[in-house]
Amino acid sequence: MATAAPPAPPATPQLHGVQPLRAGEGNSYLWRKLHSLTGIVPIGAFLVEHIISNFETLNGPLAYAQQVKFLNSLPLVRILEWGLIFIPLAFHALYGLFIAVRGRSNVNVYPWAGNWMYLSQRVTGVIAFLYIIQHVWRQRFAGVSLPENPGAAFHKVQVELSNPWMLAIYVVAMIATSWHFAYGIWLFAAKWGITPGEKARKKFGYVCGVVGTALCLMGLASIWAVVYKYPNAPENVLPEQPAGVVLPASQTSSPISDPSFVQK
Amino acid sequence: MAQSTIKVEIKRQSSPGAAAVTEKFEIPYRPGMNITSLLGEIALNPVDVAGKATTPVTYDSNCLEEICGSCAMLINGKARMACSALVDKLEQPITLAPLSKFPVVRDLAVDRSVLFENLKKVKAWVPIDGTYDLGPGPKQAPQIQEQRYPLSNCISCTICMEVCPQFNDATGFVGAATIAQTKLFNMDPSGSVLKEERLRALAGDGGIQECGFAQNCVQACPKQLPLTEAISDMGRDVFVQQVKDLFAR
Amino acid sequence: MAATPRIIVVGGGLAGLSAVIKIAEAGGKVDLFSIVPVKRSHSVCAQGGINAAKNLKGEGDDVLKHFDDTIYGGDFLANQTPVKQMTAQGPAIIDLLDRMGVPFNRTPEGLLDFRRFGGTLYHRTAFAGATTGQQLLYALDEQVRRFEAEGKVTKYEGWEFLSAVLDSKGVCRGISAMDLRSMELRTFPADAIIVCTGGNGAIFGKSTNSVVCTGSAQSALYQQGAYYANGEFIQVHPTAIPGEDKLRLMSESARGEGGRVWVPKDKNDKRNPKSIPEGDRWYFLEEWYPKYGNLVPRDVATRAIFKVVYEHGMGIDGQPMVYLDLTHIDRETLNRKLEGILEIYEKFVGDDPRDTPMKIFPGMHYTMGGLWVDFNQQTNIPGVFAAGEADYSIHGANRLGANSLLSCIYGGFVAGPEAMKYAKSLPAPEGDGGHVAELKRQQEFNKLLLNNPGTENPFKIWRELGETMTKHATIIRYNAGLDEADAKIVELLERYRNVNLSDKSQWANTSFAFTRQLWNMLQLGRVIVQGARLRDESRGAHYKPDFPDRNDEKFLKTTKASFKDEAPAFELEEVDIQYIKPRPRRYDATA
Repeated sequence: MATAAPPAPPATPQLHGVQPLRAGEGNSYLWRKLHSLTGIVPIGAFLVEHIISNFETLNGPLAYAQQVKFLNSLPLVRILEWGLIFIPLAFHALYGLFIAVRGRSNVNVYPWAGNWMYLSQRVTGVIAFLYIIQHVWRQRFAGVSLPENPGAAFHKVQVELSNPWMLAIYVVAMIATSWHFAYGIWLFAAKWGITPGEKARKKFGYVCGVVGTALCLMGLASIWAVVYKYPNAPENVLPEQPAGVVLPASQTSSPISDPSFVQK
Repeated sequence: MAQSTIKVEIKRQSSPGAAAVTEKFEIPYRPGMNITSLLGEIALNPVDVAGKATTPVTYDSNCLEEICGSCAMLINGKARMACSALVDKLEQPITLAPLSKFPVVRDLAVDRSVLFENLKKVKAWVPIDGTYDLGPGPKQAPQIQEQRYPLSNCISCTICMEVCPQFNDATGFVGAATIAQTKLFNMDPSGSVLKEERLRALAGDGGIQECGFAQNCVQACPKQLPLTEAISDMGRDVFVQQVKDLFAR
Repeated sequence: MAATPRIIVVGGGLAGLSAVIKIAEAGGKVDLFSIVPVKRSHSVCAQGGINAAKNLKGEGDDVLKHFDDTIYGGDFLANQTPVKQMTAQGPAIIDLLDRMGVPFNRTPEGLLDFRRFGGTLYHRTAFAGATTGQQLLYALDEQVRRFEAEGKVTKYEGWEFLSAVLDSKGVCRGISAMDLRSMELRTFPADAIIVCTGGNGAIFGKSTNSVVCTGSAQSALYQQGAYYANGEFIQVHPTAIPGEDKLRLMSESARGEGGRVWVPKDKNDKRNPKSIPEGDRWYFLEEWYPKYGNLVPRDVATRAIFKVVYEHGMGIDGQPMVYLDLTHIDRETLNRKLEGILEIYEKFVGDDPRDTPMKIFPGMHYTMGGLWVDFNQQTNIPGVFAAGEADYSIHGANRLGANSLLSCIYGGFVAGPEAMKYAKSLPAPEGDGGHVAELKRQQEFNKLLLNNPGTENPFKIWRELGETMTKHATIIRYNAGLDEADAKIVELLERYRNVNLSDKSQWANTSFAFTRQLWNMLQLGRVIVQGARLRDESRGAHYKPDFPDRNDEKFLKTTKASFKDEAPAFELEEVDIQYIKPRPRRYDATA
């Protein structure tokens, strides 16, 4: 009945498992912390600014244009844009992808809340990343240059969102980004030891939930304003002044400052 | 309740390099059986459901009362201790498999020595001067003891590592157990003399930064250790230490 | 002779780790062998605490009172010199453990807290929650890990000790061991070895002991010429939770809080215990011992439960179990006072003891006997030392609660330095010191086992051994039963020769390793049974209804068994009683 005795293995088979901690070695701590930090500042801060700025769309194309103009009038704006937005964002996104691909999500086996959030942070991150690539390309670098033509901002976005597919993408991305940011703050607080303890994390979770929801609703409201509240916005509400014209250009009101138009 | 047999499917592997196969068994039911007694029944009569003779299943076990930490395995897919897994509370067929994140030695036995290596890396001990009579240790407020005691209950079962999405070959993450032990020894009045070294160790590759805070560790821990709290606390301490080192070293 | 003595410690529980620490600290090289990773050793299971007369409660406790309690509790069978030394060192050992970072419970001032335990009137037991053994083991494990990281200790975890290597003069020169993964046999040289391999619960089939507590190492040494002393003294705890795979302890405090022990009056009563009316229940402890009821001393309760089950045949459903009932106590009280232990029951049995009476039965718990050692922890084989539960030296006929952890650490702390001292004056061996011969002997045993064309399943032999031992050699012993048990073991030894391994592979073959241990368990079983047969008296844990009294004239003696002609041979040795004169042991008068 017994199974035959197989020959003894020639040598002790090598066991390959997860390697032990490389105590005090490597730089991954620095990069990982930088990734975590950039998510809050400057990227998170910029996101809040961006959503608040976009919220101006609820006040109409002109208000929005003035907001865009204001931002572009900040000193050293191009340096700020690259140093505090594009470069940190690229780092955060690429390193985030690196983190995501090295995780082994197991919500199928352990369907616990925290585990779902772990997965959601990676999924929303990837969604946000893909969205932001096209968003930056199409809105910042392609087509009408908004820094030079802030008055064209509303129209440019309106045209973009006139495509129902694009509208859907913007809505999904808005939700994903707010989610990613809100849970990101929560994670930041938990992992940097700002909220140790179950109670503190739970309470802070509510705070993050409120922040995330508020940002998301503001963003969605802005989308609504662009698509539905002010349809058929003019191509440029702040047309470039003809060369040689000395201020004040004219006493006659331009079409955009016509209150009847704005209310429409 | 009146079942006559228990259906069990066991993922088996005769050696580290061998292919895994699943063997099915039907074991006579008795009330109050746990997984380790089920495996004992197979040893008593190593015959599979088709009547084919096989070998007793290799698995780690010792105390059988969930304190030695030996018998962790995947039971119906989930990592838990075999001794405290009662047959009456499990869906059948019961599937048994080795922990998935550790190299299989044979059948359900895996090599978990990485945890003990990690404990060396963070110097998880109190560096006493010697074992001769040096009088009592430092006074310790009961509040400190009440925080240390739960951490000291870690049985090294490695379930927190098994369930962690970040504990894998790619990250080489140290896992929650070691981080909790770091906190335990940093809190000890004498053990804290090595605090800075431990915190620096935890900032190495595979260190505390790899935690993704999925919190599976704290959910799965059979001894209910406050693991996420330990990770938070150590996260802060490691960061402070790194900043200090940046400017003071 | 050797500049740096090389010592082998077998067993990584409290005793073994204590010895390792002492040797490493003194500059010796240590190889530590353990079947399981040392952090998973059986010491981890101890719950209650560790005794030392620190007298931090203003009760006037002192080490001599601890000494007296231990000798009295052990029914005067323990040699008094080592017990006196152990109790004297108790306070220093506690201080050391405290310095190692053991999370002992604290008083509000931040000092060590002490609780009361059985067999004493003083608060003498330091404790870390309900897991003191675990905490102590971890503290020592951490110290050894530190020495390991410093290169002073080499661990061989997953290696099983098989035998001592003896030279032509019978002096120990090392050990033979088997890698439980590759099944490789090897001998390891050493100037001295210290055996700290714990108790032998597995001989009784199911016990409160861990899986590795087979007594195999002690038995192997006994078969190589070491004396095995007081083997017949086995402590049985009255309330254990019978399990399919083992017995788990249910603390005495359940009865302390009002738990009642009973069985149905009709042995065929199949009703749910809750629906059995008072009139149909037999509260036998309350009936037999009206004064103390359910709180009779441990050995009395143990014997009464045993009698009900085996002599009256009244166990629940014909099984060896009685009810321990807490359901008449309100949930809130239970949760406040007993939550921890009730959770254990709930976890492992699946029933809520607040709703359903617990099913309990006495369980084999501790091995008082063990390898005979002198006052320096050395066995009669030169170079072989022993410490902890594996030796016989401290507890006499019965162990007091919370003395085991202390005796382990004390034993290791003596054995380590003594082994160093011995090793330093050891002359070089002649020839190879017997290594080749021992390796060959072990290889032949393995070959024999692997090629045996028999039909016996080793696990079935083991089960029968356990049933026989539990029935005849635990709580109540009759000479006829002991003779029967010995005959049964002889039969099992015979059947063992016809054993068949269903697994003959040479990789992580646990049933093969187990079958090797089984031979040693059977041999040691005979020592226990025959030792009990010869001791016609009742003393401590050893109780014979036919000889109900202690007989100091004839049996105030240590039983020493040696392996002669394939069987145990016995001699008696005087007990060291130079400090405390034996007096009657009457807990019922003071309890």
